[in-house]
Amino acid sequence: MSNDLESQLKAALRPVAPRQEFSEKLLAQVVLGNPRTKVRRLAPARLPLAWWLSASLAASVLLGFGVHEHLQERRMQQSGLEARREVLEALRVTSQKLQLAYEAVKSQSAPLPDEKTGA
Amino acid sequence: MRKFTLLLAALLTPVLACAAPSAKLILPSFSTMQQKASESVVITLDPALLGLAGRFLDGNDPQDAATKEVLKGLQGIYVRSYTFDKDFAYQQADLDAVRNQLSAPGWNRLMETRSRKSRADVDIYIMIDNNQAVGLALIASEPRQFTIVNIVGAIDLDKLHKLEGQFGVPKLDLDQSRSPAAASPTPHK
Repeated sequence: MSNDLESQLKAALRPVAPRQEFSEKLLAQVVLGNPRTKVRRLAPARLPLAWWLSASLAASVLLGFGVHEHLQERRMQQSGLEARREVLEALRVTSQKLQLAYEAVKSQSAPLPDEKTGA
Repeated sequence: MRKFTLLLAALLTPVLACAAPSAKLILPSFSTMQQKASESVVITLDPALLGLAGRFLDGNDPQDAATKEVLKGLQGIYVRSYTFDKDFAYQQADLDAVRNQLSAPGWNRLMETRSRKSRADVDIYIMIDNNQAVGLALIASEPRQFTIVNIVGAIDLDKLHKLEGQFGVPKLDLDQSRSPAAASPTPHK
């Protein structure tokens, strides 16, 4: 009886070569990755906190410098335009008063009516 | 010897600087007048501001180009002009502090006009150094306005002549061949 059982077990557990499709399926899963298979992947190295702080600080300094330069340039432009306006105004006032002097000289140098008639 | 020369130069420089007449007038604040005035124009342009203004003048614009030429060599432009609602709301004494400075050596009265018609008095003074105008002062007093203009620096009368037509500058019939010294000014001794 035991010999029969043993022979039956041997027959049931005999090694059988896999089918061609089996081999192909297995290889495909290995290459593409079975979504049902949880594969442990190595996580990327995490950057230290100090690096992030340094980068933030540097970016803030650069941004602040850029904003300061922009404001400085804008102030300079406003000052320059204001100075230009004042120069033109100063010359306008000067010319007005020169005109006043000119008119006074002109009216004084105008010939008298007696001189015109030669009397 | 070299050290002695340098020391002497260092000691004499401020003395010489004080001795040289300055074309820049000391203008009062006119604070009282400013309160009474209906309009006031106060312009103070030192060399830095003049340089800055020059950078913003458009060389392609005829008026700006002419202005740029006039600004070359100038060290300062100072204007005080006050307009009032009533005749002679200001005192002539207010202007005397400025007129007194123009009696200092170096200043020459170029023109003095008195108009009965407009009741306006205009005095123009010029400071000459080495046969070149280095300062101009103008005091104009009208019934309802008085104006003081002080221009410091190398004033080119020829360029001023070329400004005719711009800003309403009148033709002053300035003879370009005449030097400023030959303009028969009245020197103050």
